Amino acid sequence: MSDAPHAEAEAPDFKTRAGIALADRTLKIAIDRTTNTAETKRAAAVGAFPEFEAARERGRAIKDHVIANLGHYLETFERNATASGAKVHWAADDAEARAIVVRLCREAGARSVTRSKSMLGEEIGLPDALAEAGIERVETDLAEHIIQLAGEHPSHIIWPAMHRTREQVADLFREGHVPPPSAEDPGSMVRSARRVLREKFLGADVGISGANFLIADTGATCTVTNEGNAELTTTPPRVHIVTAGIEKLVPSTAHAFALLRLLVRSATGGEMTQYTTFHRGPKRPGDADGPEEMHIVLVDNGRSRMLGDEFRDMLRCIRCGACMNHCVVYRQIGGHAYGGTYPGPMGAVLTPVLDGLAKSRDLPFACTMNGRCAEVCPVRIPLPTLLRAWRGRSWRENLEPRAMRAGLGLWAWVARRPRLYRLASGLGVRALRLMGKGGWVGSVPLAGGWTAYRDLPRPSGKTFMEQYRGGRK
Amino acid sequence: MSARERIFSAVRAELSAARDPAQIAGEAAALLAEPDAVRPRLAGATLAESFAIKATALGTTIDRVPALDAVPEAVARYLAGQGLRPSVALDGAPELRGLDWGAVETHSAIAPDEAAGVGLARFGVAESGSIVIHSGPETPILLAFLPLHHVVVLRVADMLAHLEDYAARLEGTEPPRNAILITGPSGTTDIEGSYVRGAHGPGFVHVILVEE
Repeated sequence: MSDAPHAEAEAPDFKTRAGIALADRTLKIAIDRTTNTAETKRAAAVGAFPEFEAARERGRAIKDHVIANLGHYLETFERNATASGAKVHWAADDAEARAIVVRLCREAGARSVTRSKSMLGEEIGLPDALAEAGIERVETDLAEHIIQLAGEHPSHIIWPAMHRTREQVADLFREGHVPPPSAEDPGSMVRSARRVLREKFLGADVGISGANFLIADTGATCTVTNEGNAELTTTPPRVHIVTAGIEKLVPSTAHAFALLRLLVRSATGGEMTQYTTFHRGPKRPGDADGPEEMHIVLVDNGRSRMLGDEFRDMLRCIRCGACMNHCVVYRQIGGHAYGGTYPGPMGAVLTPVLDGLAKSRDLPFACTMNGRCAEVCPVRIPLPTLLRAWRGRSWRENLEPRAMRAGLGLWAWVARRPRLYRLASGLGVRALRLMGKGGWVGSVPLAGGWTAYRDLPRPSGKTFMEQYRGGRK
Repeated sequence: MSARERIFSAVRAELSAARDPAQIAGEAAALLAEPDAVRPRLAGATLAESFAIKATALGTTIDRVPALDAVPEAVARYLAGQGLRPSVALDGAPELRGLDWGAVETHSAIAPDEAAGVGLARFGVAESGSIVIHSGPETPILLAFLPLHHVVVLRVADMLAHLEDYAARLEGTEPPRNAILITGPSGTTDIEGSYVRGAHGPGFVHVILVEE
């Protein structure tokens, strides 16, 4: 390959990954190109839809209604999907989900599997599971195709290859496509991918897709794409497998449309995806095409646990990616630095659920609490509140580094003694003033991590209390 | 305990006791009340005009003919305009099969590199400029995906105002195996977020609106 997988994805801890990402100028260019476009287009789409706020409130209410009645809707969906001829499978965790999908592929005698982009598939580790089973996996979404060529994981839930510039994609295609694309413009690269993947679609034994919605009253799964790869993934192969999280349920098709209006505007700034597909069971007698078997794998993987804790609101998430597009931290470090399946604010809430807080405690702290994610969330998830809840739990579970706990403990001890606190802060501002040059302080002992990237304003030399008293005299 | 039992017992443990399904259905229906408050207004004065405004904004081209028997000539005109041979894959709808195709050669098999496919839409949706196709014995799904040019015949009488109106049309019927709302040609923004028309599906969608 022309360049190694992004190094920040491989580093063991968040701070190292973030440091590597911050030093990568090309990464910042790539992120800016997509997120700037996404932010502008979303704002225009929302501006052209005066009913957006009311629609958002309705979307929130629909998701809350489903979550409050999840058992009922799971049963209804299972009954109706089964009646349509689909086979419903249940997976309590990621390992069970992988095992079911691999078993279904083996039973189908699959040598080649096409996949239409699904973050749930990434969450349960399906790409590696198929590789271990010796089954050829063909990613058909353009961005997933790019990262498959690069041997990487998605860095964004809507634009999985956001971390790559068009120049980097052109390099990948020159090596991975026969014949190579003729030019570096995105148009000729897309045409090249179309040529390369066309024969793969028609030769696959199994097609695997995800679902944006599960329609309880018809038992249908709904998938939205812009490229048309989902239909080419699910129609020609003999077996179609859908993997979906149990929170994807909606009562009816009309409820799905209400959420779809929010999803598309928030994700890409479009009004409607090019293809909105409802699948309901296998090929029927006389049908001109379609798979002979349809399997739906419903995955819990921590979701039922979220019903009963403070992260329940996160089950509303419709995976639009607006929170990460508007996040000042995501836009500096990109998706790989987060180290989980889901990056950005929603990922910082979900990754501790999926991977455990001990492994991911840095993520809820990688947030400035500026609240932009909650402002743009189409189903009003209070993301900063949920991140703060993880910070609280991290403290209660004693996960902070010892130096931080000791430092905060010392501060708390001093802060409860007003005289001592005034004395200490008075000494502090005078010391800082001595350290400064001109209007700024460039480095502070024990705070090198902070001052490496920014300067502190040089203090006036008196504490607030001293100035307040002075003013009253 | 099976995975299914484990999931259901976990879900039930966290939620309140079983509720009356009729009450749940009532709450779900209430969430669809006053649809005009939560959806966009139509873009034009009539359904057909609204559809055309939305569809053309996405790159779909539109031709209007007075009646179904004028469709073959409109198809021939479109193919000639695109510099294509007068040869199309045609879906099995009797409304289309029964027409006199004259100089346009038609066939049922869809080649992987088919230039143009002609199919009949079940519905149009004015709100979004979408056309709806349903799988079935007469309608191969691949007809709408393998060809580079997808030519869709849509009767103005089958035009619906909003997405919810399409959902309502499905009520009380056996929903199709595969229903697809197609909104413009295929495209992608996967490289740097910039839009490229023509990804895996058709790069061109041409709608022939039949006025009768």
